[in-house]
This record gives sequence, structure tokens and C-alpha cells, in this order.
Amino acid sequence: MKKDYSILKKSDVPAFFASLANEMQLIGPKQLFAGDVTFDVIQSHKDIYWDYGHVVYPPKRFLLPHFEDMFRYTCDEQIKIEPTCNPQPQAIVAIRSCDVAAIRFQENFFSYPIVDPYYKERLNNTVLFNLVCNTPPKEECFCICCDSGPWLESGFDVQLTDLGDRFLYEVGSDKGEKATEPRAYMLLPATPADIEARRQIELQADSRFQTVSYLAKAINFISADEVPAKIWEDLGSTCFRCGACTNLCPVCTCFTVDDREEPDGTFTRCRSWDSCQYAGFTREASGHNPRPTFGSRVARRFYHKTSYQYIIRDGRHGCVGCGRCITACLTKLGLPDVVKRIRREMHEFLPPKEKAAEV
Amino acid sequence: MIAIVQEIIDETPDTKTFRLAFEDKEYAKSFEWEPGQFVEVTVFGAGEAPIGFASDPNERSFFELTVVERGKVTRAMHALKKGEKVGIRGPFGNCWPLEDMKGKDVLIVSGGCGLAPLRPAILQILANRKEYGNFLLLYGARTPADRNYKYDLDAWAKRDDMQVLETVDVGDENWKGNVGVVTTLFDKMKVDGENTVALTCGPPIMIKFVTLELLKMGFSEDRIVTSQERYMKCGVGKCGHCCINHVYLCTEGPVFTYAQMKELFELKL
Ligand SMILES: Cc1cc2nc3c(=O)[nH]c(=O)nc-3n(C[C@H](O)[C@H](O)[C@H](O)COP(=O)(O)OP(=O)(O)OC[C@H]3O[C@@H](n4cnc5c(N)ncnc54)[C@H](O)[C@@H]3O)c2cc1C
Ligand code: SF4
Ligand code: SF4
Ligand code: FES
Repeated sequence: MKKDYSILKKSDVPAFFASLANEMQLIGPKQLFAGDVTFDVIQSHKDIYWDYGHVVYPPKRFLLPHFEDMFRYTCDEQIKIEPTCNPQPQAIVAIRSCDVAAIRFQENFFSYPIVDPYYKERLNNTVLFNLVCNTPPKEECFCICCDSGPWLESGFDVQLTDLGDRFLYEVGSDKGEKATEPRAYMLLPATPADIEARRQIELQADSRFQTVSYLAKAINFISADEVPAKIWEDLGSTCFRCGACTNLCPVCTCFTVDDREEPDGTFTRCRSWDSCQYAGFTREASGHNPRPTFGSRVARRFYHKTSYQYIIRDGRHGCVGCGRCITACLTKLGLPDVVKRIRREMHEFLPPKEKAAEV
Repeated sequence: MIAIVQEIIDETPDTKTFRLAFEDKEYAKSFEWEPGQFVEVTVFGAGEAPIGFASDPNERSFFELTVVERGKVTRAMHALKKGEKVGIRGPFGNCWPLEDMKGKDVLIVSGGCGLAPLRPAILQILANRKEYGNFLLLYGARTPADRNYKYDLDAWAKRDDMQVLETVDVGDENWKGNVGVVTTLFDKMKVDGENTVALTCGPPIMIKFVTLELLKMGFSEDRIVTSQERYMKCGVGKCGHCCINHVYLCTEGPVFTYAQMKELFELKL
């Protein structure tokens, strides 16, 4: 797709999003009573809180709800099964690059090798308006280490860069194109000075990260199962098993499935977020648990996030550097801390593996 | 797809076999599966659970599932009566390598309800008996009352084209056979480790010791084949429960050779 830059003047922003709201539900950063900001349904475009920084609660629930009804059935003589998934068009406005990258990760996971119809339907009905981070909004941000921010080369439908009194407006997909078209008359052509202003923001943003995570060594050692169990158990010993890390992670997708009885006597099959950090995640009906210790569950989380085996499977590693697990963890089990611990403890390089005998 | 319970067979105090047939006869015709695969069964009002096929794969008018009463879904399943309906999704997973095993001797080692997913393989081998060499079945149950498929075991023991060795952990006054864990039967058998494929299914601890013994007997790593069990929720590689390292048991398993297991350090013996 050809890169196409335009300008959306801030004075035109209200009209632009008011018009978009006629076509789809807007989701965006919204300030709550006590001042906290969270992604929520936007009733009036005036409620979009553009200067929000970054939110702890990712917008992932608009594509993978905490509780998602899959279908409803009756238990009578005739079993009747009715679908319940009927997603309406929505735009997630002022989403950050890391969260867009996470959604692309999930899109890939939910499409391959078997398609998940629920996620796909929701995403097909969703347009992502990414908002570039001129400076990392939080101390914990490290998207720069994960190729997922503070701006994106691709993956967004529309990307906005704040240039003071105007946004640089980039269209990144057909879906973005379609959402732009009815309002294209509000856009102005971007000048070379606008593009240069954007380039300067990119150059400066690079050097402003306070958190970094040098993943290479952890990837090597975790992929080869060379991290001693003792280190994992040490790390696991402080885990409160609250599940905050995986629940807040915009990349994590694991869910459980239950049948719920409704007051009218029908049943709903419902999936809801689950966490590999809970002992019950793998405990079988016989009582046997293949991941019996906290250490084995922490190891699991980091294997899924950083192993070479999963990088090959998913096309990238399973962290977008949003820093939420750092904010959320009551102890020190955020991704950069664990990566650092592995770097510190594993002084040696991996010994070269024995070459497979030539046949 | 809706299936109807046609028959319920009591196997042991906590295990029943359900004979099921699809309501939609056209669908039944197109429903094919291989020994080792499983389905997700919905007991309406309770939920869904993965259960392995337990019947003869060449029988197309019905299939059987053998279910141990364990928790919410399996308890509801045990409460079902003839004529009641269940929902079936599948078949899922991979299968025992019965094609590749042709021309070789076969050793089957199973424990408890681990015999269920092997029963289709046994019936398939017996149906094509000439294509395989010596055929030996080892089975261990907790007590004589916990033996699954007693009617089959007794009939198979009488055949002269296969050998059946049984053991129980704890005997009773009527039990004349071997007492001890399943690996104690290894002293009583003669197998050619070089030319035999071993299929095994049972509790994880049994799989571990059986595999170690077989390796000692000279079985190569790709001739030790096991069926693994993991907590499963979706059966289609999405819920994340069944992962062993980066491998999704529901779509890429549950059958693995020991050579494949060694690549997955979460399965380290
Ligand atoms: C590939 C495969 C084949 C199986 N074949 C058989 C079989 O032939 N016969 C048989 O009796 N059992 C079999 N099982 C185990 C059976 O699925 C569990 O005993 C059953 O799911 C327990 O569900 P429950 O609701 O009764 O138990 P609960 O403890 O109430 O479990 C609640 C939920 O946990 C899940 N769950 C719990 N334990 C397991 C488990 N071990 N595996 C998967 N999900 C679990 C269930 O989905 C269930 O919804 C098989 C499991 C797998 C993975
Ligand atoms: S991690 Fe990067 S993209 Fe995400 S909020 Fe922080 S700076 Fe922006
Ligand atoms: S692992 Fe932590 S930093 Fe990485 S994407 Fe998940 S929550 Fe964000
Ligand atoms: S059972 Fe859900 S991923 Fe395998």
C-alpha cells in the first residue's frame, strides 16, 4: 500500500470524529470521575481524552471480551442452538502503537492454523486509529525493544502524529481508507515541513526510553531450556498468583470455557480470560498437574513470551513492550526484570550444541 | 452435531462406555476418524470435555466413548440415559501410526482407562492381523474390579494370534493373575526391541517408567509411541491449556513418539 500523508487540523478533529460516530461505535481513552483514564465506549466525541498518556487496562477486551458468549442452547426435548456473537462496527481511537502491534499478534494467532470466528468477526468490524507517542508516556514503556512502537510502519488502519495544532494523518489499510473516505474533505495535503516535523519526533523519541530490555540472551537461554529450575523457582516464589500480568498483557489470549445457566433455564457457552500463572490452568481431573510449581508456571509464561520456538510459530516474540506487567506485578516479575535476572545470572554463553552426525 | 445415546455399558464402578449414533444419518456417513483421535462431547447443561474414541473405527453406524466419572461434565455424562442427546465436535488430534507399523511386531502397554484410546488400535490391528507380526498386549488395572473391557480382555486372551498379559496393583481372593505395576510384566515377555513398535497410554508415571524400560530393551526413540493427556478447553489450538512447550496437544497430538517428546522439555522424563 502506498504511503499517503495528510493533515487533520485539531480544529477539525471534533467534526471528524462526530461524523465517524454516525457510522460506528467509538471506543477511546475516557477520563473517569476520579481522574483515571481507561478505554471505554465514547458517547460524545468530546469525551476522547487525547492527552491520556497510556492506560494500564488494555483495549483488548473490545476484541476478546473478558466474558464472551459463544452460543446459547436450550436443554429441552429438542436441543436448539442459537449463535450470540453479533459484533457491530467500532473504531478504537487514540490507541497506542504497542496495543495495535498486540492486536496484530492476536489476529495472526487467531487466524492460523485454524480460524477463530469470534475474534475474526470482531476485528473485521474494527478500525484502529493509532496515536503515535511523541515521547514515551510512561517510565515503563519499552516498545522500542520490541519493534512495536512508539510509532508503527504498518499494522494500523489510520495513524495520527501530534504536530501541535494538527495531526499528521496516515492511512495504513483498506479499512482505514474506507473509514477516511467520507471525511476526506476535512483533510489537507501534508507539506514537506510536516513530514520533517514527524521525522524529528521519531529521532527524539528513540532516545527517551527509560526502560530497556535486552532480550537476546534470555531468548537463547529460554529456548534451549538452559535456565536452571532454581532460578525459575526463585522467581516463582514471590508470585502472588494474581494473574494480573497475563490479564493486563495485550498479547495474552488464553481463555477457559464454561456453560452458564440463565434465569430462563437456557444455557450459554461462554469463554473468559484465563491465566497460565494459575495452578488450575493445567490441573487435570485426575489431580495430576503437569506444571505443579510456581517456577514451572513462570517459566511457561516466559517461554511463551520469548522462546525462539514461539517466535517461529507466531512470527514475532510475544511481548510488545507496553510495560503493563511491570506496573501490575506486586513483586518483580515484569518482563524486563526477569530478562535482566537471566542476563545477570547466565554469565556464560551457551556452549555450541553438538553438531548432528552427518548422514 | 447431535448424537443419541444408544447403549450404556458399565465397565467398572466409575467407568461407563457410551454407544452413540448421530441424529443426522447423512452426517454419520461422512464422519470418519482414526484410532487415537478424540471428540469434544457436550453434555447439555453441564459443559464440554475431550474424550477419546474407544470403538472399532470400521464401524460407521455408531461410535463408543468410555468415560471415567471425574468432575462436572463426566458426572453429568454418567447420569445420561438411553435415548438422551449429547453434542459432538470433532474428530480432533492425530492418530496412532498404524500404517507405518505394518510388517512390525506390536507391543501395547496400557494402564487403567488408558486402554480406551488404544482399543480402536487393537481392533484395527486384529481386523488386519496378517499385516503385523507378533502382537502382545500388556494391561494393568488398580484392582480386578477396575479392569476395563473385561469381555474383550477375556476374549482376546483366548485368541492364538495375540498374547495378553494382565496385572493388578492389588488383587482379591478370585484373582489368580499377576500382582504389581505394569512394568513387572516386562520380565514375562519376549520382544524383539529392534523390530517392535510400542504403543502406550496410561497415567504419566506409568508412561515414564514404561518408556525408560523400553529404551533399555533397545527400542529406538521413534518406535515408542505414547498418547499424552492435558487439560483441554477448545480442541482447536486457541485456549492455550493443552500446550506442551510450543506444541498444541489438541491439534498436533495427543500421539507423540519418544523422539518427538524429547524435543519438548516440558515432557522431560
Ligand atoms: C485427548 C484426551 C482424551 C481423553 N479421553 C478420555 C477418555 O477416553 N475417557 C475419559 O474418561 N477421559 C478422557 N479424557 C479426560 C477427560 O477429558 C477428563 O476426565 C474430563 O474432561 C473431566 O471433566 P469433568 O468436567 O468431569 O471434570 P472437572 O474436574 O469438573 O473439570 C472441569 C473442566 O475441566 C476440564 N478438564 C479437567 N480435567 C481435564 C483433563 N484431564 N483433560 C481435559 N480437560 C479436563 C474439563 O474440560 C471440564 O470442563 C481425555 C482427555 C484428553 C485431553
Ligand atoms: S510502549 Fe511504546 S507505543 Fe506503547 S505507550 Fe509506551 S511509548 Fe507508546
Ligand atoms: S509481557 Fe508485559 S510488557 Fe510485554 S506486552 Fe505483555 S504486559 Fe506488555
Ligand atoms: S485445547 Fe485449547 S489450545 Fe488445545
